[in-house]
Amino acid sequence: MSRWRYFFQRVLLSIPILFLVMTVIFVILRMGPLDPVAAMLGPEASGVQAAEIRENMGLNEPLWRQYIDYMFNLVTFNFGQSYVIQSGRSVNTLIAIYAPRTIWLGFWAVLLPLFIGIPLGFYAGLNPNSWGDYIASFSGIVWLAMPNFWLAIMLLAVLRRTQGGGFLGFDWYTIGPEVRSLIGTPPLDFIGFEEWQSLGMVPMPSGFYFDGGTLAVAIKVILPAAVVLGSASMASELRIGRTAILETINSNYVETAKAKGLSGRVILWKHVFRNALIPLVPIITNEALLLLGGSVIVEVIFGINGLGRLFFFSATQGDLPLAGALIFIFTLITISLNILQDFLYTILDPRVGYEQ
Amino acid sequence: MESPAQTARADTDPIVEVRNLQTAFYTDKEVIRAVDGVSFDLTPGETVGIVGESGSGKSVTARSMMGLVDNPGVILAGSSIRFTHLETVREFATKFSRRTVDVEELEAEHDVRSLLERPGIDVTPAQLGYDSVESMTIADLLAAGYGDQLGLTDGDDCVFITEQSSGEVVDGFIEITRLEGKPQRAMRGGKIAMVFQDPLTSLNPVYTVGNQIKEALRLHQDLSGRAATKEAISLLEAVGIPDSRRRVAEYPHQFSGGMRQRAVIAMALACDPEVLICDEPTTALDVTIQAQILELLEELQEKRDLAIMFITHDMGVIAEVADRVNVMYAGETVETADVHTLFANPKHPYTEGLLQSIPGRQEGDRLQTIEGNVPTPNEPPTFCRFAPRCPKAFESCDSVHPVSVPVESGVDDHTAACLLYPEDVSEIDRIERHSETQSTEGEH
Repeated sequence: MSRWRYFFQRVLLSIPILFLVMTVIFVILRMGPLDPVAAMLGPEASGVQAAEIRENMGLNEPLWRQYIDYMFNLVTFNFGQSYVIQSGRSVNTLIAIYAPRTIWLGFWAVLLPLFIGIPLGFYAGLNPNSWGDYIASFSGIVWLAMPNFWLAIMLLAVLRRTQGGGFLGFDWYTIGPEVRSLIGTPPLDFIGFEEWQSLGMVPMPSGFYFDGGTLAVAIKVILPAAVVLGSASMASELRIGRTAILETINSNYVETAKAKGLSGRVILWKHVFRNALIPLVPIITNEALLLLGGSVIVEVIFGINGLGRLFFFSATQGDLPLAGALIFIFTLITISLNILQDFLYTILDPRVGYEQ
Repeated sequence: MESPAQTARADTDPIVEVRNLQTAFYTDKEVIRAVDGVSFDLTPGETVGIVGESGSGKSVTARSMMGLVDNPGVILAGSSIRFTHLETVREFATKFSRRTVDVEELEAEHDVRSLLERPGIDVTPAQLGYDSVESMTIADLLAAGYGDQLGLTDGDDCVFITEQSSGEVVDGFIEITRLEGKPQRAMRGGKIAMVFQDPLTSLNPVYTVGNQIKEALRLHQDLSGRAATKEAISLLEAVGIPDSRRRVAEYPHQFSGGMRQRAVIAMALACDPEVLICDEPTTALDVTIQAQILELLEELQEKRDLAIMFITHDMGVIAEVADRVNVMYAGETVETADVHTLFANPKHPYTEGLLQSIPGRQEGDRLQTIEGNVPTPNEPPTFCRFAPRCPKAFESCDSVHPVSVPVESGVDDHTAACLLYPEDVSEIDRIERHSETQSTEGEH
C-alpha cells in the first residue's frame, strides 16, 4: 500500500517541476538575446512593419500578461506558428511530421541495447571469468569509449565501401531490402489508416493498411543510426547487468533457494533476474533520456529529418515558438520517463517508499 | 507396517553418518583443506553441536552435507556422507531406480581385499579411516567414491541397498557426496534443510514471506494454491509468529531480525525434513531473541523428532542446545564428547582454551584467550595443527600428527586428537600409537 502511495506522490511532485521548467523556458526565450522580430525579418528590421509584427505577436503587452498567455498556451498544447523554419505553419503540424521519425529512431536505439546489451551482460555475469565474459566486457569498454559522432562517421564510411561487394564480403545496399542511400529519412508510411468512421462523436479507424516491404526498408535505414545512438547505452547496460547478476548470484537468499532444493532454472528466473533488474531500471531510463540529446548529432549526420534536427535549426535560427514547444515536449518526455522509472521500481521492488 | 525391530532400529541408529569427510578448495596458490577427515553421526531427536573458531571448517562441513560446496571447492574421494533414513532410501530406490545399486549382488561377486589390490586403486583402509581390510565392506568402498574406478558403479549412482528381503529394502543408504541433479534437489530441503547465519539477507527481498515458504511446499509436498497458503500460515504459527494470517502476505523487510529467522526456520521446516542443519542461526541476533530461537528449535525437535546439527562459535549456546559436541580446529575434529562430559572434563588443550575464554569462567580479573589465529590448513598434516598455540605442546607435537583416540582406554564416546591421550598410556606408547596410523596414511 505504502509503495503505491509513494508512486502517486512522485507523480504529483512532477507537476511543480513542469511549471518550473516552463517558466525557465519563458525567461530564456523572452529575456534572452534573441529578438524574434529580428529573427523573422533579418537584423535590420525596423519601421512600421516591425512595429506591426511586434504588436501582433503581443510583444508590447506587459510581461506578466505575456507570461500567463504563454503558460496557458503551453498547457493547452497551443504552440502557435513557426516564425522562421517554415514560416506560417503551425508548430503542432511540424511536430506531427517530424516526431515519428525520431520516435522510430529512439525506439530502435532503446530496443537494441535492451535486447543485446542486457542479455550479453547477464551472460557475462553468469559465466564470470570465462572467455565469453572477457570478450563481452572488453567490447563493452570499447563500445563505451567510442563517441557517437566518430562512430557514426566510421560506420558510414565502412558501409559505403561495401557497395558492389567490398572488402567485407557483403553489400549493405542490396542485402535484404534494397536501399539507394545510406542516409536519409526512413519511410514511415508502412502502416496507416485508410478509412475513418465516426462512432458517435469520436472518429474511429475502420480500415488500415500495412506494407511489409516498406517496413523492412524503414528498419534497414534506421539500423545504422540506431546502433550508433544506442552503442553507449548498450555498453553500460552490459556492464551494469554483469555486475548486478554477479552481486545477486552470490547473495544469501540465492543460497537459501538452493538449499530449499529449487532447480537452477527457477533460481535464475525467479530469484536472480528480478533482483538483478532493479539496478538496471535507472540505467535504462537514463539512457533513454540521453538518447534525446544524442539524437540531435546522429540525426544531423545520418540526414534524418527528426525532432533533434528540427530543434537544432530552430534554436540556431531563433524560431522561438518552435524551440520553446520542443523544449516543452522534451521536458514532458523526461518527466514521463522518470515517472515510468518510478513505476517500474514500484513494481519490481517492494521496499520502495518504505522508509518514511 | 514395519516390524518392531525396525522401528527400534530407526530410533537409536544414526540417520546421517559422516565418514572421513574431506573438502578442499583449489586456488592458484595452494590447496586449502577446509575440512580434513571429519567423522560424526546425526541421530533423530538429538542435537550435535559443532564448535570452533572462525575458519575451523564448521560451515564447510555443513555445506558439504547440503551439496552446496561451489567451485573451487571439491569434496575429495574417500569422503562419505550416508543418509540412512530407511523410508527415504525406499522412496529414492523407487523414484531413482536407475541410480540404485544392489550392494549384495556386488558382494557376492567381489571381496574388498582383491578389489583393493587391483592396479590403479590407490587407497588403503587407513586413508578411509578403517583399521584393517577386514573391517571394511564393499559398501564402504563404494560410498567413498571408488566404485566408478573399479567399474562397479556409474557416475550418477547414489542409492546403495545393502540388504533386501523379499523385494523390500531393509537396509541401505543414500550417498550424499555422490548426489547430483534431481535426487540432490529432492534431498536438499526435502530431507535435509538448512538455516543460515544471517536472517536479514537469507530471504529474497522482492517476494513475500508466504511466497517463499509456498515455493518449498510446492516443490516437496505437492501443495499449491489455497492449501499451500493455509499450510504456510500454520507453519508461521508453529514457529511463533503472531498474526500469521496477515504476516504471510508481508515482505521480509517488514519483519524484524528475530521474526525473519523464525520465517527462515518455518521455510526450512516446510518440507518436513529429517535433518536440520543450523549454521550459526543466532549469531546475528541479540541474546533475548537468541534464547527464544533456541527454545523454538528445541520444541520443534521434540515435536518432529529432528536430527539437528548446530554450528556455532559460542560455547554458551552449545551448552544449551547440544547433546553431543564436536570441537573443530583447522578442518579437523579435535575432541568429541557428550555435552556434560565436555564441559565438566575437557581433555584437548584447545577445548580447555575455548572454555576458559568464556567470560565469567576465568581465574582472576583478565579474560583468558588463546593466542594467535587458526592457521590455514593448506598442506597435508604431518604435525599437530594446534601445536603453535598450545600451552601443553612438547617436542613430538611438531613431528607427529595426532589422530582421534579415546581419552582413556575403555572410554569410547569421548575422543581427542592429541598426543597427550589416551591418558593412561605412557608417552612413548602414545606417540607410537598416533604415529602408527600416520605412517600407514603417509604411504601415499
